[in-house]
Amino acid sequence: MRAGTRAAAAVCAASVAVLLTFAGGERCAQARPVPADVPRAIPLPPDTLARLRSGDLAAVKGALDAVRMSAHAGAPAVPVIAELLQRGLSPALTLAAIETVGDTESEAGSAAVAWYAQHRNVELRRAAIQTLSRTRGLAAVRALRGALSDPDANVRGLAATGLGNMKAKEAVGDLFAALDHKVAEAAASIGQLCAGNECDRLASKLGSVPFDVVTSGLDQVLFRPAADVSDDIKIKIVGRVRELGTGEANRFLRSVQGKWPKTWSQRVKQSIDQAVLATAASPGAGEPQ
Amino acid sequence: MSRPAALRSCALGLALSAAVACGGGQTRTSLFSTTWEDDGGVSIGRVWQRLGSTPIPASADVVVGVAGNADKLLGAPIGGGSKWTFAHPLDARPVVAGSVVVGSGGREAFALDAKTGTVLWRRPTGGIPLVGAGDDGTVTVVTFRKAGGVGNVLLAVSHDGEVVRQIETDKPLGSPAVLGRLAFVPWADQYVSVIDLANGDEAARVTLRAQTSHAWTQGGSLWFGEAGYIRFDEHIRDASKGKATTLMVPLRELPGTPKLMPSGDHALPAVADATDRVHIYARPRGTDEGATLEDGRWYATYFRIAMGFANEKGGKLTWVHLHPADLLGGAAAAGGVVLCDEQGKVVELDAKTGGVVGEMDLGEPVKACVVNADAQPVNGTATDGKSLAAQLSEAVRANDPELVTAQKLLLRELATGQDELATKTLVDMASDPRTSPDLLDDAREALAKRRTGASVMEAALARHYDFLKDVLRPPPVGPIAEALGAMKEKGAAPLLASHLLDPADTEDDVKQAAAALAVVATPTELPVLRQFFGMYRASAPDDDIAMAVVSVGQALILLQDVGVVAAAAKDPTTVLYARDRLEALVEAIPPPAKK
Repeated sequence: MRAGTRAAAAVCAASVAVLLTFAGGERCAQARPVPADVPRAIPLPPDTLARLRSGDLAAVKGALDAVRMSAHAGAPAVPVIAELLQRGLSPALTLAAIETVGDTESEAGSAAVAWYAQHRNVELRRAAIQTLSRTRGLAAVRALRGALSDPDANVRGLAATGLGNMKAKEAVGDLFAALDHKVAEAAASIGQLCAGNECDRLASKLGSVPFDVVTSGLDQVLFRPAADVSDDIKIKIVGRVRELGTGEANRFLRSVQGKWPKTWSQRVKQSIDQAVLATAASPGAGEPQ
Repeated sequence: MSRPAALRSCALGLALSAAVACGGGQTRTSLFSTTWEDDGGVSIGRVWQRLGSTPIPASADVVVGVAGNADKLLGAPIGGGSKWTFAHPLDARPVVAGSVVVGSGGREAFALDAKTGTVLWRRPTGGIPLVGAGDDGTVTVVTFRKAGGVGNVLLAVSHDGEVVRQIETDKPLGSPAVLGRLAFVPWADQYVSVIDLANGDEAARVTLRAQTSHAWTQGGSLWFGEAGYIRFDEHIRDASKGKATTLMVPLRELPGTPKLMPSGDHALPAVADATDRVHIYARPRGTDEGATLEDGRWYATYFRIAMGFANEKGGKLTWVHLHPADLLGGAAAAGGVVLCDEQGKVVELDAKTGGVVGEMDLGEPVKACVVNADAQPVNGTATDGKSLAAQLSEAVRANDPELVTAQKLLLRELATGQDELATKTLVDMASDPRTSPDLLDDAREALAKRRTGASVMEAALARHYDFLKDVLRPPPVGPIAEALGAMKEKGAAPLLASHLLDPADTEDDVKQAAAALAVVATPTELPVLRQFFGMYRASAPDDDIAMAVVSVGQALILLQDVGVVAAAAKDPTTVLYARDRLEALVEAIPPPAKK
């Protein structure tokens, strides 16, 4: 049940990632004007750093809230927050500080937050991993790769997802190891990061790893830009799914077919169309996607 | 008396009548009288004078297995010779006496030539089971337990099948011996009556001051005993005064509290039970001074573990043998011990080392096994020479829940040695998820007390919980840290520091690692110490981690990093448990250092 939930979460995360990839990949090269209904960043209040350094717990908490509100604009406060984390805070303030650093997405906080990826408090570890996924940098990648071996399954899953989001290509080997150890979230991340044979290796997991888990990664591969993943690889992956000849293979292929951008490779599109036809008679193929 | 018991008694009466009709002697009602008055050793002294110079023939060296559904005997001479089989139902454990094997079952008793399995005689019994037997090469004396368990029957049969004597009594008779046509019959756990088979008279009686239900010949001497050994020699006349030549196996803790001998006045079941698997073996040897244990050794078994002990106060363990199958029977011999397992395999173990010096095979699994060793010594070259530490290591690592009681004792023995292998074994046991919970605590405790094997401990500390590498149990950090700290092993400091930050380690492990670092930390560990101190001084989830914060604070002070500790000691966000103690640490710093 728990594994199934994680698998579903991975599929969900993968779908979001697909949309992001699609939106930002081939057509979103140009910056677009911010719509009027999107709030602008709130500037960091001038006394924030002083309040962070005050030693007064309520003032510190208020300052952290202010930094969160400022999001990216709160980045100047991150070194001070990192200092607080390194000096030590109560569990509640530690959590708030970690999440605040995450909201700033400032790499300057990665080293301090990485400490807490090893904390005994699992809530702090999970928060640290989520924050590191956003702050990025070498310290973050190192901490997330280590967290793939964490005793807590959620931490492992978050770390796997984070590595994909961070485009940590050097972690693909670790992610395969994680996938082999039933870290379902690793599949989507591999799909985001794999190159050449690595993508085919992911496809080869069909049959040994649950279908939904593998296709959460294959979906990622298929919708990556042609410059990133060649048509040949994509056609090969479609062929591997087609070979399964199952209803769930047909449903997956139909889903890809439905989302395939009109301007993208017609060769790949043709292989998808043929695969959908070839698997249409499979038991369960007619069920909703 | 129950109806079947009454029928059996009646049948026995008929059988005995037939025996008498065939020329056997009459039962004497005056035998085994409890109104007998101690004669101060006069009568037994006369028997000693009569027999003292009589050579006692060696009894057969043979292994006899009970096989099938307790309806087959398998015989194999020790030291070589043809194996034999004899099909016969059995209602009690067979007995090797002198040169014969005596058994009962199918409403009769029988005697076989121990070397060949050839039937020497058979007598009807009415279905009462065999208790014990003795044989002097010409006549066999057998005791039976009467139906209902009250009273016994003694039957003396010559090797040509003639009943020489039969005696019925309500007294509990033990297992007898025969020498010079005199039967030595232990009874009531304290007497040995000497019955002249020629006339059925009680020629002598001796009162022994140690529990006695067995009489037997071995190594050219006649022995009595149960809990120990009393030798039939010139001192036997003073037995009632407690001055007979007496030999005891040294007392020591043993798994399962085994016995040297079962009570000799009860029939043993044909099929072995737990008491056969948990047993002491020893061999008394007569000397000019009295008696001693052969080779200065005695042995004990616990299911499939055999152990050798020195004949000294406390019984020092000298070797351990882990066997593939449960050991059902055995006998000590000169040079070692012969043991027989439930698979029908027989192994000869060297007295000094426990090494295997000989093996035999009865050919099939057995339900019980009787080993008799007299003249044939155990000798040869051991095929599995191992140190005691290696033997102990193998025995305590055996994954067999049945052995845990013995393994706990052996683990303590292992921990007394300084061998590095002992440390490695303790580390392995404490790290292995298959280790019985009953043994795990003992292994951790013993490991914490080790003062040798630092390299083994450091190698263990190099491991961490690693989900992707299938390392799902952290090493025993706590006890290792305790040991390394006591050994002041500075080389272990980086490894100990790495465990401060491992969330898979237990709180106690972290506490012990920190305590060790307070002794062995070097400047190299400063970054990790600072990290741990910062991470937990205000968020320690429990007293163990708070104590670890204090120990790390101590290490930081020793490494001249006082400021961070002094600040934490004053900071109200530092957890109270740690703050008080950090404050005390800071206050204890001499003023110049504090600056």
